[in-house]
Amino acid sequence: MRRDLGGVRKDLNLIDVGKGTAKGERILKLKKQFRRIPKAAALIILLLLVCAIFSPLIAPHDPIKQNLANALKPPFWQKGGSMGNILGTDNLGRDILSRIIYGARISVIVGFAGVLFSGILGTFLGVIAGYFGGKIDAVIMRLTDIMLSLPYILIAIAIIGAIGPGLTNIIIVLGITQWVGYTRIIRFEAMSLSKSEFIEMAVISGTRWSRILLVHILPNVLNSAVVLGTLDVGKMIIFEAALSFLGLGVKPPTASWGGMLADGRIYLTFAWWLATFPGIAIAITVLGGNLLGDWLRDELDPRHQLKA
Amino acid sequence: MGAYIVRRLLQSIIVIFGVIIITFVISRVLGDPVTLLLPPEATPEQRAYLTRDLGLDRPLYIQLVVYVGKVLKGDFGQSFRHQEPAMKLLLDRVPASLYLSLIATLISVCIALPLGIISAIKRGTIFDQVGMTLALLGQSIPAFWAGIMLILLFAVQLGWFPPSGYGGLKHVILPALTLALFFSAATARLTRSSILDVLDMDYVRYARLKGVPEFVVIMRHVLRNTFITILNIVALQLGLLLGGAVITEFIFSWPGIGRLSLDAIYNRDYPVIQATVVVAASFFVVINLLVDIIYSATDPRVSRK
Amino acid sequence: MKKIALLLLTLGMVFVAGVCFGQPKGDLVVCQAAEVNALDTAKHNSITDINYANEVFDMLYYRDGQGIPQPRLALSHKVIDDTTWEFKLRKGVKFHNGIVMTAKDVKFSIDRMTDPQTKAFFAPYYTTIKEVKVVDDSTIQIMTKGPDPLLLKRLSMNLYVFPSDLLKEKGAETFFQNPVGTGPFKFVSWTRNDRMILEANEGYWDGAPKVKRLIIRPVPEAATRLAELQTGNADIITNIPPFLVPQMKVSPNVTVQSIPSGRVMFLYINCLAEGPLKNKKIRQALNYAVDKKAIIDNILTGSGIPMAVNLTPYHFGYDPSLKPYPYDPGMAKKLLAEAGYAKGLKLVFNTPSGRYLLDKEVSQAIAGMYNAVGIETDMKAHEWGSYTQILTAKRLQDIGFIGWGNTLHDADGNFQPYFTPESVFSYYSTPPLADKINKARTTLDEKKRFELYKEIQKEVYEEAPLVFLYQQIDHYGVSKKISGFQVRGDEQFVLYKVSK
Repeated sequence: MRRDLGGVRKDLNLIDVGKGTAKGERILKLKKQFRRIPKAAALIILLLLVCAIFSPLIAPHDPIKQNLANALKPPFWQKGGSMGNILGTDNLGRDILSRIIYGARISVIVGFAGVLFSGILGTFLGVIAGYFGGKIDAVIMRLTDIMLSLPYILIAIAIIGAIGPGLTNIIIVLGITQWVGYTRIIRFEAMSLSKSEFIEMAVISGTRWSRILLVHILPNVLNSAVVLGTLDVGKMIIFEAALSFLGLGVKPPTASWGGMLADGRIYLTFAWWLATFPGIAIAITVLGGNLLGDWLRDELDPRHQLKA
Repeated sequence: MGAYIVRRLLQSIIVIFGVIIITFVISRVLGDPVTLLLPPEATPEQRAYLTRDLGLDRPLYIQLVVYVGKVLKGDFGQSFRHQEPAMKLLLDRVPASLYLSLIATLISVCIALPLGIISAIKRGTIFDQVGMTLALLGQSIPAFWAGIMLILLFAVQLGWFPPSGYGGLKHVILPALTLALFFSAATARLTRSSILDVLDMDYVRYARLKGVPEFVVIMRHVLRNTFITILNIVALQLGLLLGGAVITEFIFSWPGIGRLSLDAIYNRDYPVIQATVVVAASFFVVINLLVDIIYSATDPRVSRK
Repeated sequence: MKKIALLLLTLGMVFVAGVCFGQPKGDLVVCQAAEVNALDTAKHNSITDINYANEVFDMLYYRDGQGIPQPRLALSHKVIDDTTWEFKLRKGVKFHNGIVMTAKDVKFSIDRMTDPQTKAFFAPYYTTIKEVKVVDDSTIQIMTKGPDPLLLKRLSMNLYVFPSDLLKEKGAETFFQNPVGTGPFKFVSWTRNDRMILEANEGYWDGAPKVKRLIIRPVPEAATRLAELQTGNADIITNIPPFLVPQMKVSPNVTVQSIPSGRVMFLYINCLAEGPLKNKKIRQALNYAVDKKAIIDNILTGSGIPMAVNLTPYHFGYDPSLKPYPYDPGMAKKLLAEAGYAKGLKLVFNTPSGRYLLDKEVSQAIAGMYNAVGIETDMKAHEWGSYTQILTAKRLQDIGFIGWGNTLHDADGNFQPYFTPESVFSYYSTPPLADKINKARTTLDEKKRFELYKEIQKEVYEEAPLVFLYQQIDHYGVSKKISGFQVRGDEQFVLYKVSK
């Protein structure tokens, strides 16, 4: 591979030139790291963020503008479709592509905020349970048992019935129901960490428990938490879809992939594009999140470093 | 060890108790069921009568005490909507749910285990990448899409299977496949990562260094040690399947627990909601208890402080 | 010898043929969208339940497709005075267990449904019945609390006749595990959420059913119902969304039957709370601003009929001279300005989600039309249970989408719940209107009632306490293998005349 690095002779192989020099070694390391970044995952996440942030610039139409006479038009490659609505229109004549682009906003917000809320709560409880053990651990673990036994839908309807529908409240529901996934694993790690000699020495030397937690344990479990978080982003989006099925999703006419999926379900055998394209968008996002999470897990796991 | 078991048992009872109380609270938050049990033309007298008859006019704490008392005797009351005992309604659905979940798990395991194992062994190769991507896609496909597509293809076009309904093997295949899609994907990925964890263990490397054939290494060392983890995964999936097959049951008109509990929530049928949740809770608690006991017996890292 | 054998053979064949062609044969499979609540008719609360009960039991009267009560177990009625009715019963009708139906069975069955202890869902419909008296084995008298012009219709509303001795002896819970009635089909078995199996009652007083067995299955997903029909597993499927109709029409072996429904869709307006909606002009503007035709053509694929008020031709008292509010956004804006809201108005728009066909979509379309005339809308989608609770607690904010089913084929059923103060569902009432409605429901003279309803409709139209939308059209899929099936506008079906 030949790269122009300003001043370096282009006809020489970089590796040969770099060998032995400090700068060359650094460049080598960067290249190796770059090669390891999961391209597909990065691309997907980039696409998602671009859609979410720049929706007004990219989307061809207003996502909530209705045009009843233009309802249920198929994608442009089918008979009846047109380039005006590349992916077709929904049952109110709204452009599907624009709604998918704007829908990325909701998915990004739901995915990240949901993961943040549940992740922080779950990690916090997991760390406490793992470090202190004993009664606190027992209480928290039994709490997770209780949460796992209660049907997600029941809690969702109860919470939203009480505080009303809307994006913020959806995130609250997700946070309250999904923290359990983090706690078990983080607790396990925190427990192992607490047994390590390093921590025992810190305790003996009189470090306050709050400092131990914050400075020693938390950063080390953060790896797992982050991995879990990226894997969960997709789950959050799918749960939002489940809420939409029940009528508890984001307020109409806001475009959300989950809402489009739910609303398009009855049209599946007739106007397949209403549900299929948001479904594909969700699938790709889940794929991206999972690829990223898998890569992170491999990267951050010390054992796998040896194989690199 | 014995003391540990006793302690966990006590805690489990507390958990189930907690679930009972929380479900009660949530049910009451869901609002007045009487509105849904009478037509809009009902007179205030009729509403009052029904409220009194269902015991909903008494103060909340009395309702709770009465309810808990009955539950301890195993009486979950009559369904508000169907005038049958709530628990009977639930238990009638269990065979169908169990049947569907078992077949779905069987299909999942047959697909996922080999996929996960081979992906782990051939880690990093094209097989691994393609396999795991397929698994991810399988996890992302919405159940209703898969279900309806299966019906259109295998029932309507090819006519191999009936589109819906409860019955023998012919009837269960399509819904089981729909469920298996998601769960084999998840199971394959989990299998792969737990095998990878074991593959890196020192004793496996040692066996390889000794010259033991790769196949024997896999069969004897790797599988044996991942067996418990995989069993754990499968058991949890089974548990999730029992409660989480709502959409599949809806599409295929399968008379399972999922549909019953969804209808109950929709109709504010408290006795049925409560019965379902308590049964689900007991199931989870028992599984967790068993798993924790096995872990603490075998893994010295997880010891009591 | 040979000739005799031939004769015997021919006779034998004719005999066998006669037996075969006369016997009911075949399985008739019906797929509905919902499941029966319970076998006990007191627990019934929907058309799905009624359709099962209509096969196994009979009532004194049954309404035909136009809503006129036809005598069934009753032969005739006589109005003795304002509050006393006498009915002559059909003689020789047998229950499935062979017992003959008599007046005491009728009295017992009606008393059971009016008894508060039974907690019958439809009990509010029978509150006018004071007492049932047995005159003789085939004559009963019903005393009403006040003049009740709707008595015959009430008797055709889920008031089935049971064998009183058997029901008393076994108790309701046991009896309804194997219900016995006089209907065209006998109960065989029921697995909840799976299927109900009924078999022909060949001794049925109105002629034996033409099919041997009737199987009723709940199949919630419309696409799956269609698949069942297309694969030949089902003969009749109900509640098909209008956009699947073209698909059905091109399927081999399938025909589509469509019929206007008695179900009406409209927007509730909260006229009780202080605010702009108390002003008639605003409410009229809300009506003028809706392009009903566009909604029907584009969202419902043509499956709807615009309404003038919340009544259909099926309802007694319907006045065809009233025409629906035309689509006139200019008029809407003018009325808003006259009411002092030229700058625009902000309303909360509530809608259920998935309870009615395309409810959320229609609501959003209407919201869009309101935006176009300067009315800003804040849309709130609700889960059905919460929505009902909000409505009956009179906590509805501004406007809400809702549908209303046909119960008694009578204007009373649509006006009383909405425009009389004692009803929990009412958000609008004026004393003169409420008076007229109450008078209409207690006047026995049909002509007078009709005149009253004409006046009531005119006032309702003028005052616009609701935004009147459309009447739905129902679609059924029917297999070409069967004949004799005719859809009805009240979503009920009669199956003993259907053959396969």
